[in-house]
Amino acid sequence: MLKMQRRTFLKASAATAVMSAVPLYFGFNDYKQVASEAPVKKIPTTCNGCASMCGLFAHIKNDRLWKIEGHPIHIKSRGRLCARGHGMAADLYGKGRVTGPMKRTGEETFEPISWDQAFKEIGEKLQGIINTHGGNSVMWLEHGVRGKFYADQFLDVIGSSNYVTHYSTCFSSKTNAWHHMAGGSLNGDHENSKYMIFEGRNFAGAIIPHGMNQITKAKENGAKIVVIDPRYSEIAKIADEWIPIRPGTDLAFRLGLAHVLITEKLYDKAFVDKYVEGFDEFWRVNKKYTPEWAAEISGIPVEKIREIARDLAKHAPQAFIEPGWHGLHCHYINSTQTAQMGVIVNALLGNFYKRGGLMPNANAPLGSLQIPDQFHPEKGPRIDGAGVEGEFLTVEPGRGIAHRVPDAIEAGKLKALFVYHFNPVRNAPDPEYQKKMKDAELVISINVDWNETSVYAADYILPEDYYLERTEAPTNVNGHISHDHPQVSIRQKVVNRLFDTKPLLDIMRGISNEMGYYLYDYTVEDQIAAAVEPLGITPERLKQAGTIEFPATVKPVFPENKGKPALGTYTGKIEFSIDLFRLDGKMGVPTWIPPMVMPNPDNKEEFRLIHGKCPWHSHHVTSNNPELMAITEKYDGTSMWINTKRANELGIINGDTVFVESDIAKKKVKVRVTEFIHPEAVWIPSAYGGFSKKLETAYNVGVNYNDFIPSMVEPYSGTTMSQEVVVTVRKESN
Amino acid sequence: MARYGLLIDATKCTGCSACSIACSQHNQLELEVNYNRLEFVEKGTYPNVKMEIVPLQCMHCDNPPCALVCPTQATYKREDGIVLVDANKCIGCKYCMTACPYDARQLNHSRVPEKCRWCPEILSKGEQPPCSSTCMNEVRLLGDLEDPNSELSKKLATTSTYQLIPEKGTKPRIYYVKK
Ligand code: SF4
Ligand code: SF4
Ligand code: SF4
Repeated sequence: MLKMQRRTFLKASAATAVMSAVPLYFGFNDYKQVASEAPVKKIPTTCNGCASMCGLFAHIKNDRLWKIEGHPIHIKSRGRLCARGHGMAADLYGKGRVTGPMKRTGEETFEPISWDQAFKEIGEKLQGIINTHGGNSVMWLEHGVRGKFYADQFLDVIGSSNYVTHYSTCFSSKTNAWHHMAGGSLNGDHENSKYMIFEGRNFAGAIIPHGMNQITKAKENGAKIVVIDPRYSEIAKIADEWIPIRPGTDLAFRLGLAHVLITEKLYDKAFVDKYVEGFDEFWRVNKKYTPEWAAEISGIPVEKIREIARDLAKHAPQAFIEPGWHGLHCHYINSTQTAQMGVIVNALLGNFYKRGGLMPNANAPLGSLQIPDQFHPEKGPRIDGAGVEGEFLTVEPGRGIAHRVPDAIEAGKLKALFVYHFNPVRNAPDPEYQKKMKDAELVISINVDWNETSVYAADYILPEDYYLERTEAPTNVNGHISHDHPQVSIRQKVVNRLFDTKPLLDIMRGISNEMGYYLYDYTVEDQIAAAVEPLGITPERLKQAGTIEFPATVKPVFPENKGKPALGTYTGKIEFSIDLFRLDGKMGVPTWIPPMVMPNPDNKEEFRLIHGKCPWHSHHVTSNNPELMAITEKYDGTSMWINTKRANELGIINGDTVFVESDIAKKKVKVRVTEFIHPEAVWIPSAYGGFSKKLETAYNVGVNYNDFIPSMVEPYSGTTMSQEVVVTVRKESN
Repeated sequence: MARYGLLIDATKCTGCSACSIACSQHNQLELEVNYNRLEFVEKGTYPNVKMEIVPLQCMHCDNPPCALVCPTQATYKREDGIVLVDANKCIGCKYCMTACPYDARQLNHSRVPEKCRWCPEILSKGEQPPCSSTCMNEVRLLGDLEDPNSELSKKLATTSTYQLIPEKGTKPRIYYVKK
C-alpha cells in the first residue's frame, strides 16, 4: 500500500490513506502509444449506476471498455455523468460478479451448474409449488420496473397478484400522496425558478447530473436556494441558506408555512378557487397550525417561517418546494402527510404547470409488443396486504410492501420468490429479519453480483448480463426534472458478455418453457421494433443515436377538458384531501402527527439516527467498486456525523470510534465531529455496511442504517419509517 | 501558439469527485494515483456554517520548480505551457515531488511521479478534458490564455480571481474565482 502525506493549503483534515488493488488498466507510460494505435468505437447506451439511466457513450478500445462519457442530448446527463456512473461502468471487469448460474450447497456456499440444469430444477420446483399452493404463493420482488414486462406475463399465467417493487423502502409516501391529490407527480422546473426550497432533498448527493447543472445555472441567474435539512448536505454547499430543522418535524414546518400563506393572504386565491378541491376542509384543520406552533416543534424561528412563506409568495409562481424523493418520503410515521403538504404548499403558490414552478415530464408514445392472450387463472389477494381491505388498504397495490416479505413467508403464504435487480437483505430494514427470506421453498436471485440477498437467501443465483452487455427495450427519459421535449433512449450492448450470463428475457423463457408455458416467444429486437413503431423512427436510428429528442409536447398550461380542470383525480382538480384515507377511517387532509419516537432530551447519549446519500455511491450497489471506495477512504466517507457540542458532552473527539446501539443492533462506528448537523441527530451515509464476503471491496466497510431499524410499516403508504429510531452513542472505552 | 490555462469556480463545487474518477479512467490510472483532489474546509459554528471545497491539481506553472530540479529533464515544459513528465527519462529521484509547492504529484507503480497533464490531445481540439466535461456544476474551464476570443479569456476578463501560493513565484496557470 502506498501512502502519501498531503500538504494542505487550507485548514483541512484531508484523510490520505489510499487502497491497494490490482490495477485494471494499462499505465500512463503507454497512454500515448495506445491512444494513437487503437481505434476507439463510441457506442451509445444508458447508465445503470442509479435509477436515472443517464444516456452515455461507451468508449471501446481493443474490444474493451475504456471509459464512458455523458450523452450530450439525454436530459438527465446532457454530456455529464456522476462519479457513481463512471465507477459502475468499470465494475464490468470488477471482482464480485457472478460468472454463471449457481445452486446453493450450504450456508454461504454454492456450486456452479449449467443453465439447462438451473431451468429444469427451477421449473420443476416452481410447478410443484404452484400445484400444491397455487400461483398466488409466488412473488416477483424487484427494484422496479425494469423486469415488469416479463414478470407480469409470468405472474398472469400462474395466477399471482404479487408484483412488488423496492419503492416502499424508498419513496412511496410521496408517490401515493401525489397520485391521489394531483393524479401523479410533477417536477420542479429548476432551470427557470427564482426560489427553490430543497427540504430533505439533496440533489448534489442523490445526483442527476443535468438536474444539478440546472440548479447551479439557476443560481447563477439569481435564483435563491434554501436548504432545509438537519444535516448540511452537499446541496447546502451552494445554497443561500441552510436551515437545520429538528428531524421528523418537516410536517409541522409545512403546516405552519401554509398557515402563513393563507392568513397573510399570500396564496394564489384565483388558482386555488379554480383548481383546488377541499381547500375549506384543509383550512378548518390548518387553522390551528400557526407559525408560532410550527416554530416550537421544528426549532425553526417563527420569523424565519414567515420570511420563507413571504419569499415563496413573492417569487411565485416561479417558486416551489422541490417535490423530493427518498428524503422525507419514507422516513417517518408522518411522511405521507409531509408529502401531502408538498402538494398543498405548492398549490397555494399556484405553481402547477408554470414555468419556474412545477412542470410535467414530456412523454413519447412508445409502443409495446402485444402479448397473445393466455388462459389466466384467477388471482388471490396480494399477500403483502397492499390495497387489501382490513390489511394495508391505503398502500398502493401496484408497488407493494417490499420490506415485509419474510412475514408472508413465515405466515406460509409465500412459497416461491424471484428477486430481480434488488438486494433487500442489505437494503431493507433489519438484515437478520430479511435473511428469513431463505425460509421460502424456492428463492431465485437474478442479479449481477454476489450481493447479500444472493448469498444469504437464494437457492439459485441466475446472473444477468451486465448492463453494458445487454440490449433492452427502449424507454422514455423521465422523472425528477422537467423537460418539454419527449426523449426516448435505448440501452444496448457495448461489449460481448464476459461470463456465462444471460439477459432476463432468456432467463424467463428458460424457466417458463420448462414449465410448459412457452411465454416469451419474442426477442428484444421485436420489443424494440414495437416500441419505436408509433414514433416513426427505425430501431437502427435509435440504436445509432442512443437518445432521440422529439418536438415539444409540454406547455405551461393546466390540463383542462372543455374548460374544466382535468388532472387524473376524481374531480380533475388538485384534491387537498385523499378520499381513500377517509374511507379507511383516517384523516383525508394532513394534520399534525408527531414522530413515533423521540430521543429523550435529558439523556445525553440519545440521538435520532438519520441517513442519506453521499455523492459517490448509489446506496450499496456501487460499494464494491475500488475507485469509488478509494474516494470513500480518501474523504473519510463512512464516518457518522455528530454535532460538536453534543460530542463534547460525551467526551467524543473527531475520529473516535463509538458504540451505536438501537433496540436491534449494536455496532462500532467511527465518528466525525462537526458543526454541520442538528444536535439531536447523528447521520450516517446509506451506502455501506456490506456483509457479503464475496464482495471484497465492500465487505465490512462502515455500517448501514438498516442495521439499526426494525421492519416497520408506515400506516398510510407502507414505507419503512427508516428514521423512526433512537440510538444511544457511547465512547468505545465505556 | 496556444498557452493553456484553467479557471476553477470552487464556489460551485459540491464535492462529488466525478472529475477525479473520470480523469482516472480516461488516463487509465492505477488506483493509487489521482491527478486531482479536493480539500474540504468547515467554517463557522452551528447553525451558521459554510463548507468550502477547493479542487486541486497540477497548476502547470509557467515557472515550474519541478522541471528546474529534475536532473534528467524528464519533467519539461512544452511550448504551449503544458508541463509533462517523460516516464522513460524519469529516474524516480522524487526531486520534483519535493519541489512542487502544490503537492500535485503521486508515485505510480513504476515509481514515476505522475501528475495531471491537462490532456493536450483534447485541449488542442478545443474541447474540455474529462474532469471538466463531466462536472455537473461546470466548475472547471480550460482554454487558451493567448486567444482573447477563447471562452476562458473572456471569462477571465470579467472575473476576479486569485491564485494559490503566489509568493513561491511559480506562476501557476490555475485561476480560482474570487467570491
Ligand atoms: S445520475 Fe450518475 S449513476 Fe445515475 S444514471 Fe446518471 S451517471 Fe449513472
Ligand atoms: S466534478 Fe465538479 S462538482 Fe464534482 S467534485 Fe469535481 S469539480 Fe466538484
Ligand atoms: S503544480 Fe507542481 S507539478 Fe505542476 S507544474 Fe507546478 S510545480 Fe510542477
